[in-house]
Amino acid sequence: MYELEARNLQMKFGGVTAIAGLDLVVEEGEIRGLIGPNGAGKTTFFNACSGRYPITAGEIRYRGHTISGLKPHEIAAQGLVRTFQHVTLFKKFSVLKNVMAGNYLHAQHSYWGSLLRTRKTREAEAGSERRAREILDFIGLGHIAHQQAATLAHGHQKMLGIAIALAAEPRMLLLDEPCAGMNNDESREMIALVRRIRDTGITIMLIEHDMKVVMGLCDRITVLNFGNNIADGTPEEVRANPEVREAYLGSQAHVA
Amino acid sequence: MEDLDRPHRIAWLALLAVALVVPFLVNFDLYLIHVGIIITFNVSLAASLWLIWTLGVISFAHAGFMGIGAYASALVLTKLGLSMWYGLWIGAFISGAIALAISIPLMRTRAVYFFMASWAVGEVIKRNFAYFKDFFGGWDGVFDIKPPVLDLGFLQIDFANRVAYYYLALFAVTATVWVIHRVNSSRTGMIYWSIHENELLAQHTGINVFRHKVICFTIACTLVGITGALYAHYQTYISPKTFDIWKSEFALVHLIVGGLTTVGGPVAGAISLTIVDELLRATGYFRTIFFGVVLIASVLLLPGGLETVPGRLRKLFQRTSGR
Repeated sequence: MYELEARNLQMKFGGVTAIAGLDLVVEEGEIRGLIGPNGAGKTTFFNACSGRYPITAGEIRYRGHTISGLKPHEIAAQGLVRTFQHVTLFKKFSVLKNVMAGNYLHAQHSYWGSLLRTRKTREAEAGSERRAREILDFIGLGHIAHQQAATLAHGHQKMLGIAIALAAEPRMLLLDEPCAGMNNDESREMIALVRRIRDTGITIMLIEHDMKVVMGLCDRITVLNFGNNIADGTPEEVRANPEVREAYLGSQAHVA
Repeated sequence: MEDLDRPHRIAWLALLAVALVVPFLVNFDLYLIHVGIIITFNVSLAASLWLIWTLGVISFAHAGFMGIGAYASALVLTKLGLSMWYGLWIGAFISGAIALAISIPLMRTRAVYFFMASWAVGEVIKRNFAYFKDFFGGWDGVFDIKPPVLDLGFLQIDFANRVAYYYLALFAVTATVWVIHRVNSSRTGMIYWSIHENELLAQHTGINVFRHKVICFTIACTLVGITGALYAHYQTYISPKTFDIWKSEFALVHLIVGGLTTVGGPVAGAISLTIVDELLRATGYFRTIFFGVVLIASVLLLPGGLETVPGRLRKLFQRTSGR
């Protein structure tokens, strides 16, 4: 059983084919890089996996269950959670409340509990807050838990995005350009963080444009071009693959 | 779970205490007590509209749902002879049930499309009351909706008495605001506000956004259905025009003047603007113009609404004391 499995996946938007019959498998516990030129279909693949857009044909399976056709909240409930390329937060919430909101799936919410403030509800909320603080400490944002999310530096906002995803207690994370717009120091911090997340047993798939990051971080790399999987392998294999150089980087390019 | 801090708790209790002694303060002046009752209706209307706002949308159908509660309760009395003690719950139930059914298509729309769709729903509700003449009484409305009598055996309270009705209305508005506060300050409120802030992210953290939107809309319309029933039995007369879009818009103005981020906003807005409206009654035709001036002035001079006043005062105080 694979962690994530796409079979003959197709995504079409009107006349535009974003993904054309993609086959892809991700093993449990790996850090998988997803690279390719702009428009190759990387983010579209994440959108398909997270249920944001309906797929045109094919199938996506997560831990043996078909998830294509499910709604985003149903997929998140199965343990497959994504982050977004652009900073996506509850901006007016505090950092802590952002993570608590992300903890929805495990907060045992009920309407009667909210109204009557039963003991069970109060305990669940206290537990949710505890969990949120743990996650913030793990990420390294514990010291700014009460700051408003909108006021955070860009790097911290990206990290908070991951904290929200972790609060849903996923078994697999899809990270869409976690290092986008970061300076070198922030990037290094993010790379370390992704490794630490994997070490807690969460499988990771990430889209990234910075080759240094991808090559250094990922166990395996999948290369997309025009919605097709053109190469799949360890960083060394992908780097040596002439088709990748040709299609993705141009025949003259030198892969870092 | 965010509980109220002490200053807020004191402010709410003070407001309730003042409301409780108001009939004595005004020496049982019937007109002023009438204003007090109208205030409670407007507060309920604005506060329950605000509950829908926590999702990030404003429903122009809200007064329409108040009308459904009012008509249901009124017709239960005039056609079946059941008093308001039954009509209240039947009105709330029917208002909630229709809200549930309508919100399923309605909540699939977003932003400006939601406003337009809810506007249409409000208009359709009103037109239905007018169109089905035999049942709803057409544009003439329903007459002779008697207030109830509470018979406890040893004690009889006739709610035709305005002071008695004031306390009944005060009890209802307190319960309404309490429910809204509880919902909003719990995990449920966190869900609503997260949908408000970022619906896409809310979905991807596992929240069934559609379901919670439908439930929120239903709760708000059930609460306003109760308000409508109380309104009908107080005025003893209702017509479709009472519950048109303009009533929803006045509630929206109450929200904007009062403030949009806490339930204190609509409460403060509805209280103060209802009073302003009554003060302007003496000016006759100029009333609406003055009302407009008050609205524009408050938006220009007090962005964020009345709910920001305590914070502003605190800041002012700190600045002057720090000097």
